[in-house]
Amino acid sequence: MKVDRRSFLGLGLGAVAGVVVSPVGLKLTDDSSIWTQNWPWTPVPIDGEISYDSSVCNLCPGNCGISVRKIAGRPVKIEGLGGYPVNDGGVCLHGISGLQYLYDPSRVRTPLRKNGDIFEAISWEEAISHTAGKLADIRKSDAPQKLACITDKTQGSVTGLFQRFLTAFGSPNLYAMPSLESNLELTAQTLHGSGNTLGFDLENSDFVLSFGAGLIEGWGSPVNCFKANASRKERHCVLYQVEPRLSNTAATADKWIPVNPGTEADLALGICAVMIKNTLFDAANFKAGFAKFAAMVQIEYSLDKVAQTCGINPGEIEKIASLFAKAKRPVAVPGKGRGESGQNLKEFAAVHTLNCLAGNLNKSGGVFIMAQASDLSFPEAVMDDVAELGAGQEKMAGSVNDLVEKINAAEKPVVDALFVYNANPCYSLSAPERVRQAFKKIPFVVSFSSFLDETAMEADVILPISTFLERMEDVPSQAGLAKKIIGLMRPVIKPVFDTKDPGDALILLANALEGTIAESFAWESYAECLESVTGDNWSSLSEEGHVVISEGAPEGVPDVDFTFLATNPSTVQAQGEFELTLIPVDNIHLTGAALTVSPFALKTVCDRVLTGTDIVVEINPATAKGLKDYGDAILTTPVGEARVKVSFNEGIMPGVIGMVRGLGHTFDNKFVSNKGVNVNDLIGPVVESGSGLDAAFGIKAKISKA
Amino acid sequence: MSKIENKSENGSMEGAGEGTGGDPKDDKGLGLGVIFFMVAFLVCFLSGWLLFPKLLYSKREQPFNFDHVLHTSEAGDCETCHFLREDGTFSGMPNLASCMECHTDEPMGETEDEAIFAREYVAKEKEVPWFIYSKQPDCVFFSHAAHINAAGMECKTCHGPIGESTTSRPYEENRITGYSRDIWGKNIWGIKKHSWDRMKMDDCAACHKEETGHQGYCFQCHK
Amino acid sequence: MIQDKKAHKFGMVIDLDKCTGCGSCMVSCMSENNVPFKEDESRKKDSITWMRVYKLTNGKSFPDTQVVYMPRPCQHCSGKGGHGHSPCVSVCPATATDYGYDTGIVSQIYTRCFGCRYCMGACPYHARYFNWWDPKWPEGMEKYLSPNVSPRMRGVVEKCSFCYHRYQLARERAYGDGRDGIEESEYQTACTTACPAGAIVFGDLNDPSHMVHQIVKPDPHPDPMNKHVVDKSRNPKVFRLLERLGTNTKIYYLSEREWVRKAGDNYLDGEWDKVKNHHGSSSHE
Repeated sequence: MKVDRRSFLGLGLGAVAGVVVSPVGLKLTDDSSIWTQNWPWTPVPIDGEISYDSSVCNLCPGNCGISVRKIAGRPVKIEGLGGYPVNDGGVCLHGISGLQYLYDPSRVRTPLRKNGDIFEAISWEEAISHTAGKLADIRKSDAPQKLACITDKTQGSVTGLFQRFLTAFGSPNLYAMPSLESNLELTAQTLHGSGNTLGFDLENSDFVLSFGAGLIEGWGSPVNCFKANASRKERHCVLYQVEPRLSNTAATADKWIPVNPGTEADLALGICAVMIKNTLFDAANFKAGFAKFAAMVQIEYSLDKVAQTCGINPGEIEKIASLFAKAKRPVAVPGKGRGESGQNLKEFAAVHTLNCLAGNLNKSGGVFIMAQASDLSFPEAVMDDVAELGAGQEKMAGSVNDLVEKINAAEKPVVDALFVYNANPCYSLSAPERVRQAFKKIPFVVSFSSFLDETAMEADVILPISTFLERMEDVPSQAGLAKKIIGLMRPVIKPVFDTKDPGDALILLANALEGTIAESFAWESYAECLESVTGDNWSSLSEEGHVVISEGAPEGVPDVDFTFLATNPSTVQAQGEFELTLIPVDNIHLTGAALTVSPFALKTVCDRVLTGTDIVVEINPATAKGLKDYGDAILTTPVGEARVKVSFNEGIMPGVIGMVRGLGHTFDNKFVSNKGVNVNDLIGPVVESGSGLDAAFGIKAKISKA
Repeated sequence: MSKIENKSENGSMEGAGEGTGGDPKDDKGLGLGVIFFMVAFLVCFLSGWLLFPKLLYSKREQPFNFDHVLHTSEAGDCETCHFLREDGTFSGMPNLASCMECHTDEPMGETEDEAIFAREYVAKEKEVPWFIYSKQPDCVFFSHAAHINAAGMECKTCHGPIGESTTSRPYEENRITGYSRDIWGKNIWGIKKHSWDRMKMDDCAACHKEETGHQGYCFQCHK
Repeated sequence: MIQDKKAHKFGMVIDLDKCTGCGSCMVSCMSENNVPFKEDESRKKDSITWMRVYKLTNGKSFPDTQVVYMPRPCQHCSGKGGHGHSPCVSVCPATATDYGYDTGIVSQIYTRCFGCRYCMGACPYHARYFNWWDPKWPEGMEKYLSPNVSPRMRGVVEKCSFCYHRYQLARERAYGDGRDGIEESEYQTACTTACPAGAIVFGDLNDPSHMVHQIVKPDPHPDPMNKHVVDKSRNPKVFRLLERLGTNTKIYYLSEREWVRKAGDNYLDGEWDKVKNHHGSSSHE
């Protein structure tokens, strides 16, 4: 028997036939197709029981109630909380992205200590004892007032604890970053006396005269404003938007009134002049300075002068004045963009004066003058002699900006140690390079942050704080909301990393310092502290998740003091000699203040704002000589220079360049950093005398083809 | 040489016969080829039927034996542990917390299995890593509420009489796909005797067609 | 094919005068549906956004410029005559996408799709997106993924599903309660619930008690001016995108402004005036 080719063929064919007829072929085909659909690296989210947790978001001062859907205890989606008095179910894109902050891979996971140029991970014990050691040294030097602190706001229990720490330590130097709330408080103080803030009852108004306020770009409590805007048509409410650029708010308004950048105060005073001239006002409760103001404004802000300054028709000014005065429930709203930085008191006061003249104070649809009663009752801090002496001193600066200037101007350290909490001054102040320089001059900087942002990078110790989804805190309403509400932020998940509540970190630090400082922080935990300082409100807070302190118009009509404006303070001008004016633009997609934009939110940014890593600026084609639409250009201001792309936009005044705020971050996060330019790098501070605010609303600029 | 010469001399018929008849050696080769064919065919066919499943499926035992009959008599029927939640979703495999509604870290009975459970899982607060026979791929959305409540089906129609078992059968997993043998079916041909023998899309579709007149739209069962 | 008198036809009306262009709908959709993100999302051709907000302008120069924002999810076309032959469904070689006659929703099944992208070519609205790369979530972030929506692998097309998983869960809840039907509020898409301005309204166009039906007032008869078009809105403020193609989309847009309504299609000179006052028949169903 010879085994030759045919037998092999037979063998082969037989094998093949056998396999084909067997189940192998069919089964392997089915199995391989399933195999190709189940790669091990494609995540398969684990299923489980669905539950919902309520909380309050504090990513911005908006105070929105949120509902977090969880699967088997794992948060998977954030939505608005229906029925919550601020937002009734709505939520903004940043709140929804909250989970991206929670799981941000570039979060600080443990305390860090700077060693040379790099950060080393250390334990909480080490971090606290190291920090306490440095602070104790400052106390020994008998200058405890050289401990300063920068936070985001002046209200709430956490700020209260930072204040308390400084007081027990012996320092008065607590500073809050500029915010819409601080600007409104200052305005209220100037016109009505201290201890008040302003609330705008937009949802009941029938004529909103907004001076650049980005009502749908994130001004105030964003979702609350969105809802007020959305219901305008049904309520027959008219919106007039005064600003150099067609923002989304201007686009949705009944009329867009373009004015030259930085001339909003002039227009407001011009309208005041018309109202006074035609006696379209109600003088109830006008106290000091009205006569002087009335006289001044009719001369200095006459129709022609204002028309010239602002670049609008005199007839237009009269028409607006007439409509505003005759409306049943008019309200004038100040605060360009988000109303946070680059604002000035003259403008806020001028716009608010329109409200005073219109007689809408404490009336439905108008402005509420809300008394700032503290809803928290802290026991007296225990102070020793060192503390008494230190805390009794004058504050060394009038604002964060002022503090930075003083540090830079002095040869020896003016500040020996600095706490920074929920603020990013090394990014969000004008000309942040000088802020970084100032920070380098401070011997010891402690950042209470879970994100290694520009400011944290300048720190010597980082005490990482849990995100808003991982901890409890009281969230007071602010930023122009016409109601006073305290929300309770509650944890929906245990801290993912080795982070703590800021209150707990302060308690540990106080205990490490011992003595009267430790005595002032005699709580076991921040949770215990919160319960005790919220007093009677705690039961409502813990059961309902919020407590409504006040809603509806306050009683009575407050006095109005016209002294400040009567002196005709000068209008802040844009620095520099170039032809064009660069203005920063607030936009709902990007964030302001300390919060960095999330990957999801960044995805919603138009490619005509950010292309690859190039920021795109807007310019009217009429003043875009030599430039190509979507072409590269060099933007130069007295403070700096940047490579940008240019987008021709008919929705911006000729002569003005618009650049968004919120890009140009430089920390280590490949999704959101190193994209675009930080507009603050191109704008230098211009301090308004009197208020001390950095009023730089923009800067002179030139732009040429790259 | 001579044969050929003969062919041409003897005429076409003979030549033809001899020509096609071929070599006696060829006969044997073909025969061998056929034999080899049949042998190979048989071997491959039988391997495909019998050996292939053994190679394809891995066999593992559950972490410890679970006696369903014991539990149905002690605790209640299927719904006691495998229930519909308030929102209509299915609770699936009971977690440690539900077992601990009765069990503690001290065994109640005498079995070695319960001892393992108490020692390794309850005491250590560790979830039992059960192997799930009916696990479907991530693309599948199956609503137990729709089938139990609306269609009035019985658990065993799809899952088999698992409630009447005292032992947990071994978990056989397809090495290529990662799914249980219960999905394609124990029979390598995919032939099923009972409704619970197979849980592929075609089985769902066939029952849907029979009961509702339509196979169903894609999104009804996929996500 | 089931022709069920009680069939639902889920649809949406988006009020473009209320839309602020904020993008909450975009982010809510991405968060709800396990949509991934990349380092550079400025390349909008391959940026995956099931819901995308477009910016339209009236083309006039300063100071008469006007701008409107238009959220655009998948339009869930029902095709010419409303018979279920959506452009994408008609071309898919793998039956990975399918028109559900019971809901009017066009499904997308990732396991069946092999990525030929024919559907992307067929879709007039650029509503379909392709996973050129494997979606990757930074370490730890995959914990926020929802089990209700299958995460995709590379080579697969994805698109808005009208949050079909929410419909599945709502029906499951109803079955759990022993009910058969679901209420309007029980099934709302993620974009609808997120919109802080309340610009999006979602519901069953076939159900007269649903808000979307009351706003849109769809005319079930074919449009006498274009027989391929059905369910044209009787509301003069309402329009659909590229309506004349006969795709019979389920997304209706509403605006008081004429230039916005005109932007819903590409009109040659004189064409707009012929159609701008034509709004479905005046007969009632």
